[in-house]
Amino acid sequence: MLKLLEGPQTLGRGKVFWSCFLAVLAGALIYPAFADSYDVGNFSYFLIWIFMALGLCLMWGYGGMLSFGQTLFFGIAGYGYGVLAINMGGGTATIAALVLSVFVAMVAAGILGYFMIWGGISGIFFGIVTLSATLVLAFFLGQTAGPEWHIGTARLNGFNGMKGMDPLAVGDFYIEGSALYYVMVALIVIVYIALRMLVNSSVGNVIVATRENPQRAEMLGYDVRKYQLLTFVVGSGLAGLSGALYTSWGQFITPSSIGLPAAAMPIVWVAFSGRSDLTATLVGSFLLLFGFQTITIYSQQAALVLMGALLLATVMLAPQGFVLGVGRLVVDWWSRRRRPDTGPALADASRLQSDET
Amino acid sequence: MPLVDVQGVSKRFGGLTAVSDVDLTVNSGEVHCLIGPNGAGKSTLFKLIVGLYPPTKGSIYFDTVDITNERPYARVQRGMSIKMQAPSVFKELPVRQNIQIALQERFSGPERSAEEDRLLTLLNLAPDSDKLAGALSHGQQQWLEIGMALALKPQLLLLDEPTAGMSPEETFKTGELIKSFNAEGMTVLVVEHDMAFVRQVAQRVTVLHLGKIFARGSLETILQDEKVAEIYLGKAHAH
Amino acid sequence: MSAELFSVFYQFADVFAFLILSAAGLAIVFGMMGVINMAHGEFIMCGAYVTVGLVNLGVPLPIAQILAALTAGLIGIIVEFLVVRRFYKRPLDSLLATWGLSLIVTQSMLLIVGSAVRGIGTPEGSFAIGEYTFSTYRLVLFGCAVAVLAGLYIIFMKTRFGVIARATMQNAAMARALGARTGRIYSISFGIGTALAGLCGALYAPTMTLIPTMGATFVVESFVTVVIGGANVLLGTAPAAVFLAMIRMALNASYGQIIGQIGMLVAVILIVRVLPEGLSSVLVRRGR
Repeated sequence: MLKLLEGPQTLGRGKVFWSCFLAVLAGALIYPAFADSYDVGNFSYFLIWIFMALGLCLMWGYGGMLSFGQTLFFGIAGYGYGVLAINMGGGTATIAALVLSVFVAMVAAGILGYFMIWGGISGIFFGIVTLSATLVLAFFLGQTAGPEWHIGTARLNGFNGMKGMDPLAVGDFYIEGSALYYVMVALIVIVYIALRMLVNSSVGNVIVATRENPQRAEMLGYDVRKYQLLTFVVGSGLAGLSGALYTSWGQFITPSSIGLPAAAMPIVWVAFSGRSDLTATLVGSFLLLFGFQTITIYSQQAALVLMGALLLATVMLAPQGFVLGVGRLVVDWWSRRRRPDTGPALADASRLQSDET
Repeated sequence: MPLVDVQGVSKRFGGLTAVSDVDLTVNSGEVHCLIGPNGAGKSTLFKLIVGLYPPTKGSIYFDTVDITNERPYARVQRGMSIKMQAPSVFKELPVRQNIQIALQERFSGPERSAEEDRLLTLLNLAPDSDKLAGALSHGQQQWLEIGMALALKPQLLLLDEPTAGMSPEETFKTGELIKSFNAEGMTVLVVEHDMAFVRQVAQRVTVLHLGKIFARGSLETILQDEKVAEIYLGKAHAH
Repeated sequence: MSAELFSVFYQFADVFAFLILSAAGLAIVFGMMGVINMAHGEFIMCGAYVTVGLVNLGVPLPIAQILAALTAGLIGIIVEFLVVRRFYKRPLDSLLATWGLSLIVTQSMLLIVGSAVRGIGTPEGSFAIGEYTFSTYRLVLFGCAVAVLAGLYIIFMKTRFGVIARATMQNAAMARALGARTGRIYSISFGIGTALAGLCGALYAPTMTLIPTMGATFVVESFVTVVIGGANVLLGTAPAAVFLAMIRMALNASYGQIIGQIGMLVAVILIVRVLPEGLSSVLVRRGR
C-alpha cells in the first residue's frame, strides 16, 4: 500500500521530499501555539477550499475532465449541511450532517455525470454544461427569499443566504478555533495521501490512460465511462466537503459562493498551480488563497481582477502552471547541485515539459 | 470451429454502402488475412468486428456469443485484443506505464514487473522504457501498441495494417512475432496491404472487393486465383 | 380566441428572441473556430452600456444600438488579435483565457462604474388584442432576432466571404492551401460574433437594470442553446432555440421563470444523452 505514495503520476519522491513534507506538517501543527486565534481562524478558512482544488486537480489534471461546476457541488453540500444541521439539531448530529451533505453532493454528481459522460460530452462542452448547471442553481437559490422556500425548518433566504445552523460539534464541544484548524489539517493530510495513492494505483493508471487516449483505454478492456464517472464523483465529493466545512465555519452560506465569479476560483487556483500534480495544486492553491484574502481586505474587486489576470497570464505564459514550473526549476537546480547521476528528488521532468495538451 | 462468425453484415454511411452482406468466419487457431484494394471495405469490416460502430444489418458472433451490440471494452473482456491502423498509444505516459496499463488486469506485484520486462525486451523497447511513448518513432509506437495488444493474452488478436510505416526488417520481425504467438494457440485476424507480409503469415485469406466478399480460401488458392490477381494482386505485384 | 393564440405566440416569440439574440454570437465563434468565448456575457454588457451611454448623450436609441454593436465588434477584433488567436489549437485554453478576461472586465467595471447605472426605460408603446395588452418593443426584439438569422443566412450563404468561411469551417488546412486567408476569416468571424453579443446587450439594455454582472443573465441561455444546437448557426442554433423556447414557454407560463430555466437545462442534459451529436446531427444527417 505505502508503495502507492510514490509513482509516475505524482511528483515528489524519496527522503528529501518526504522530509520536506514532514517539516511543513510539523510547522502547521505547532503554528497555533505561536499565532493569535484570529489568524488561526483565518488559516482554517484558507484550508477549507483546498479540498475543492484537489478535487478539480484530480478531475482535470489526471482525468482530463475540465469541470466548471465545482461550486455546484460546493453549494449543494454547503446548503445541504445547513438544512441538515438546522433540522437535525446541533451537537454530534452535525457530524452526520457533514457526512450526509457530502454524500448528497456525490449523488448529485453521479446523476449529472451519468447523463454527461454516457451522453458523450467531453472537452469544452463538459465545462459549459457543468457551468450552466452551476449558474442555474445560483439563480434558483437567489430567488428563494420568500418564506415559502424552506426545507423543514431551514429557510433558504434568497441572496441573503441561509444561516442559523450549528457549527460542527461533538456533544457540547464546538469544533472551533484551534480544534477546527487541527481537524482541517488532519483532513487535508488524509485527502492528499489518499489521492496520491489513488492516482498511483491501477485505477489511477486507467484514469490517466483515459485522459491520454480514451479509445485505446477502452480497447484494453476498460469501460472508460465508469472510470470517468468515478473521477467526477470523487472530485465533486471533495468540492462538497469544502462546501459543508465552509457553512460550518461561518454558519452561513449564500448563492454568491456558487455563481460567478466564485465558480471561476477553483479553475484559477488549479491552472495557476499546475493541474497535473496534486502537490503543486496543494501548495499553489494555499498561496493564492492567502494572497487573495490579503487583498480582499482592501478591495474584493481588485482581488478578483488579479485572479482574472493570473488566469490569463497562466494560459498565455505557462499553460502547465506557475507553481509546477517553479517547482521544476528548483528540482533541476537541486539535482544539478548534487551529483548529476543521483537522479532528481522529484519525478522525471521530461514528463512535464512535453505535457503540452 | 469458428471463433469469429460474421453473418450477413452490412454497413451504410448515408448513401454509401461500405460493407454489403458479408459473411466471414475466422477459425480458432488460424492466422486469417483480410485483403483487398483500397476502398474495399476492409477497415470498415474490421471496425464492425471491433465494435467501433454497430452494423446496419446482420450479426457478429464471438465464441458463439452474439456480440453485435456490445461496446469494444466488453468484446475485449471476452478475449479480443485490438491494434488499430494508426498508432494509438498513451503518448504522455512512459513506455513502461503503457505496458503496465495493459497488463495490470492479469498481473500484479513482482509478477507484473517481470512480465513488463519480458514484453519490453521482446519488443526491443527495453532501452526506451522510461521515455514517453509519444517520443518513440512511428515504427516503435506500432510495436508498443502490438505489445499492449499482446499483453492482454487474447484468444483473438485483431490487427489493422500493423506494419504500416515499418521498414522491411521490422515488418518481417512483426510477422515472425505473430507466427510465434499463433504457434502458442492465439487466433489472429489481420487486415493488410503488404502482400509480402500476407505471404509470410497467412494461412487463410479473404478478399474483399467493393464491400463484398470476392474470394476466400487458403493462401495458395488465393495466390493462384486469376480474378483476384486482376483486381488486386496484379497491381500489388507491379509495385 | 385569436387573442389567446396571439398571446401564446407572443410568449414564444419573447423567449425565442432572447435565446437567438444571446446565442447567435457565441454560436458563430464556436462554429467557426471551435472556441467558446467565455467573455461573451461581457460583450453583451458592453453593448448595453454603450447604448445607454449614447442615449444619455442624446443619440436616438436605434442609432445608439447600432453603434453599440459595432463597438463590441471592434473590441472583439482587438481581443481576437491580442488573445484568442493564440489558442485556436488549444480550445480549452481559449476558454480559460477568455474567462480570465471576463473576470477582469466585470470586476474592473464594478470598481470603476460602481454597481448600477441609470437605465433608459423600455420604449413605450403597447397594443391590445382582445383583453390582452402587449409591449411593442418585445415584438421588435423578435423581429430583430429573425433579422439576425436572415442576415447570417445572407452573409454565410450568399456572399464570397461566406463561401470562404464555410470552406474554412469544413477544412481550415485545405482552405488555406487554396489561398484563403483563414487568419482574417477567423478575425472577422470573431468580430461578427462579438458584434452580435453587443447587439443583444444593446437591444435588451432598455428592458433591464444595468449592472456590470448582467452578462451572467444571458450566458446560461446562450450556452445551452449552443450545446444542443452544435456548430451550425442556421441549422443548429435556430431549431434549438425553437425547441427550447417551447419548453421554456410552457414551464414559464405554469411555474415561473426559474423553473423554466431549470426545465430547459434538464431538457438539454436529457437530449445530450439521447443525441450526443446535438440536434443538428438529426437535421443535417451527415453519415458518419
